Amino acid sequence: MPSAKEKNDVRQGTLALMVLKTLEALGPLHGYGIARRIEQISEDLLSVNQGTLYPVLLKLEQEGSVASAWGVSENNRKARFYRLTRAGRRQLDAETESWDTTAAIMGRFLAVKAEDFS
Amino acid sequence: MKALRRALRRLASLATKRRDEQRMRIEMEEHMALQMGENLRAGVSPVEARRRAAWQFGPIEAIQESYRDQRGLPWMETLARDVSQALRRLRLAPAFALATIVTLALGIGATTSIFTLVHAVLLQSLPVANPAALYRLGRTTPANFMNAYNQHREISLVSYDGYQYFRSHTPGFAELAAFEVGGHRLGVRRAGAEALAQTYPGEFVSGNYFTMFGINPLAGRMLSARDEDVSAPAVAVMSDRLWRQQYGADPAVIGGVFNLNGKPVTVVGITPPGFFGDSLRNNPPDFFLPLTTAPTIEGDNDLTHPETAWLSMIGRIQPGARPAAIEAAMRVELRQWLQAHWGVMGARARANLARQTLFLEPGGAGISRMRDQYQQWLEILMTVSGLVLLIVCANVANLMLVRSLERRRQISLSRALGARTSRVVGQALTECMLLALLGGGAGLGLAFAGTRLILGLAFPPSAGPVPISAAPSLPVLFFALGVSLLTGIGFGIAPAWMATRVDPIEALRGGGRGLVSAGSAPRKAMVVLQAALCLALLSESGLLSAALHRLETQDLGFEQNGRTIASIDPTLAGYGREQLSPLYARIRTSIAGIPGVVAVGMAAYAPFSANNRDSSVWVEGRKPPGPDEDVQAWVDRVTGGYFEALGNRIVRGRGIGDESASSRHIAVVNQAFVRKFLPHEDPIGKHFGRADLGPDVYEIVGVAQDARYLTFGLDQPPQPFYFLPESQRETPEKDAGSHFLQDIVIATRPGVVLAPEAVARALAAVNPNLPLTSARPMSRQVAAEFTQQRLIARLTSLFGILSLILACTGMYGITAYNAGCRTGEIGVRMALGAGRGEAMRLILQGAFWLTALGLVLGLPLMLAAGRLLGNQLYGVSPFSAPVALAAVAALGLSTLVASLVPALRASRISPAQALRAE
Repeated sequence: MPSAKEKNDVRQGTLALMVLKTLEALGPLHGYGIARRIEQISEDLLSVNQGTLYPVLLKLEQEGSVASAWGVSENNRKARFYRLTRAGRRQLDAETESWDTTAAIMGRFLAVKAEDFS
Repeated sequence: MKALRRALRRLASLATKRRDEQRMRIEMEEHMALQMGENLRAGVSPVEARRRAAWQFGPIEAIQESYRDQRGLPWMETLARDVSQALRRLRLAPAFALATIVTLALGIGATTSIFTLVHAVLLQSLPVANPAALYRLGRTTPANFMNAYNQHREISLVSYDGYQYFRSHTPGFAELAAFEVGGHRLGVRRAGAEALAQTYPGEFVSGNYFTMFGINPLAGRMLSARDEDVSAPAVAVMSDRLWRQQYGADPAVIGGVFNLNGKPVTVVGITPPGFFGDSLRNNPPDFFLPLTTAPTIEGDNDLTHPETAWLSMIGRIQPGARPAAIEAAMRVELRQWLQAHWGVMGARARANLARQTLFLEPGGAGISRMRDQYQQWLEILMTVSGLVLLIVCANVANLMLVRSLERRRQISLSRALGARTSRVVGQALTECMLLALLGGGAGLGLAFAGTRLILGLAFPPSAGPVPISAAPSLPVLFFALGVSLLTGIGFGIAPAWMATRVDPIEALRGGGRGLVSAGSAPRKAMVVLQAALCLALLSESGLLSAALHRLETQDLGFEQNGRTIASIDPTLAGYGREQLSPLYARIRTSIAGIPGVVAVGMAAYAPFSANNRDSSVWVEGRKPPGPDEDVQAWVDRVTGGYFEALGNRIVRGRGIGDESASSRHIAVVNQAFVRKFLPHEDPIGKHFGRADLGPDVYEIVGVAQDARYLTFGLDQPPQPFYFLPESQRETPEKDAGSHFLQDIVIATRPGVVLAPEAVARALAAVNPNLPLTSARPMSRQVAAEFTQQRLIARLTSLFGILSLILACTGMYGITAYNAGCRTGEIGVRMALGAGRGEAMRLILQGAFWLTALGLVLGLPLMLAAGRLLGNQLYGVSPFSAPVALAAVAALGLSTLVASLVPALRASRISPAQALRAE
């Protein structure tokens, strides 16, 4: 059990960043909208169960990075809409930067060939 | 910050659980609907669209579970669920719940109420600033004045001269204060008021007393070092208690003049509420006076006598100072001070000088004789109540075991359905903890009532107010909580462990058979443990009761019936020494005039008046007593007719009459005096004196039967006493104060009850300014002496009975259960021709062996309990065979009776019925 949970945490972290970025780009959205958007952007590269988005949204809301309110969906039914808060924006900036740094380091590291060490 | 915010939100969501759940459902349903619409638009059938949407969403149950975990605090929800389940289970078994809670309440209540006393008397510090920095002189706390130059084992009291020396030579103390030992009664009259003088306790203290304690006034000011100047005007500080109760918190009291023993004294301030002086005791002082006012108010010169040690010392050490270093410095100072007084000290003091030493002890708890006095008793009570609590644990554990046996089916079913071990154990423990806490709550209520009761018994209100509150304080609450939780763990572990051993297959087999043996071993162990502990408790309470009985029925050497002891304080009315003999004669005549009074005598100290004076004895014709020789005897001063009034028989010679002041000085001695100083001699006509007066001062004219006077040493034979007529004075005069007689012994005709008002009127006829301090029957004065012993004996007996009842219910429980399980077996046996007697024997046999095992295991416990009581038994041997036999018999018979009921029931089974039940 614990190992599965750790894996989940890592994915959640990534997923959280995607959610924040989506909300920043598109403004208030309901859960389905966020899920679709993430799927569209990642295409087939990422296969995530859409449902796992909801625990992530809940966590972000509890942390104060997003806020939510009831609204009306495209087919005229009650839906919960999420928007980025100021704290969420700050978190997004911080995490984007840290993600860029990590990605850059990893990219450089993985590009290393054997002769570079000699 | 983020984590905190999240935790708070999660906590809050516990309250909004239903709404959150609904929100989650709506959100997810809408998500599916949107996805399904999208799929439909892509051109698949509705069924396929729904299937795909579900597939895209993922495993909904698992996601919802993780959502819920995310939302709230899962462990808290589990706990809440366990608690509510446990509550429901308890509601379904009200008899079990009630029995358990009451049993627990009794055990926890008893322990907590004893702990309240222990905390108040033994553990609590004085209500002063930073009590940890206080250090006091002396390991022991003497009650009487002593010789400043020569004290046994350690110097624990000092004279005023000695105090001043230590104060000015010990820089390790930031402030070193002194106060008189014992305290005084003061005759108090507000100047200008009409009312008669009242007596209140007062204490002489050094000027820096309040500064040292860090006590600020409630009103006015406290004493200061300037007030200790001999030339300073006489001032006093009044207690908050007296100010409120007697003077209605009248602000005019501050700055007002009061006549204390007839001397005008200005009250300058009121102590804060809760401050009760330097010692925890009955009757804390209501007036604090500077030491230097003692000569005026008391009319003696203890202050200027460097030899009279009448002061205790307590001081606040400098921050960072080492007490051991201060102690060493003070030992040197003591040596120097003693050397400086070499010229004026007696031979014995000179001989012992090199041996004198002193000790500094932590003084944060004050100087409490009460503590010394009660410590051992409280420890005994704490042990006893702890034993009761253990028995309670065993009993409740037993109940829980039965319960867990009954719940086996349910547990094995839930395990078969996949419940985790931790959940099953958690549920069992939750139930135990819940019971323990409920029992603890009820026990706290019991403890509150119990403590009031015990306080009332231990410190009768007639003896004056005691600064101990029965109200549960924070430490007591924590103690009760801790005890409850420990108890819960104590009796919950066994059932929890049993729950883990349940085999899931059992539920499927659906059997009830084969379970009995599994559960009965721990239950039997519990019953045996209970019996063993109970035996120890019973024998302990038996020993204490026997000791009390012995104390109460001993020959005291005087009459208790038809005797009244009245107390006065002649100093309070301002009498001088020369006026005393005529005063006593008038008092005796006046009281003798009360109808029904047959004899009146007065003494400095009547039996059990808690005050005594001792002296050395030098028999004529012998060498002066050496420094190490034990020549101590107690001395009392009496008027004519005293022995007759007291009913103390004169066994040889004559008693004391109205002796002429100028004739040969006489003395009456008791039998113990003769045994100690004049064995194998005819005491009549012999002369003796004191080490400081010479060998030929008194001529023995009579021998009185040994009588109990002292309030200590009750387990020893009476000590040597000699009695002197109040009318004769030694030259040079020593102990002038001993001529102030305080106790009037009044003998009445049988059947006559002497009202204190009658005595007060008779005294008022002599002098209206002479207050009657107290008047009570001798039997009550004697009984009051044994209050403590009676309290302990009664409490332990109560605990003993309680444990006996618990042991019986335990035995009843297990026998009844076993009998129930063996119904089938008994039915078969009876069908095969066994009689009812045989069936009973079958059941009783088991009970008998359990009891026997308990008794055998209890014997060493019993011996240990006896050893614990040790010297508190007043001559009853801690290994008293009758008490042990009585305890064994009581326990054996009770458990037999307890097991008889189920045995009888088993024997009445009809074989046909039993077999049908099969």
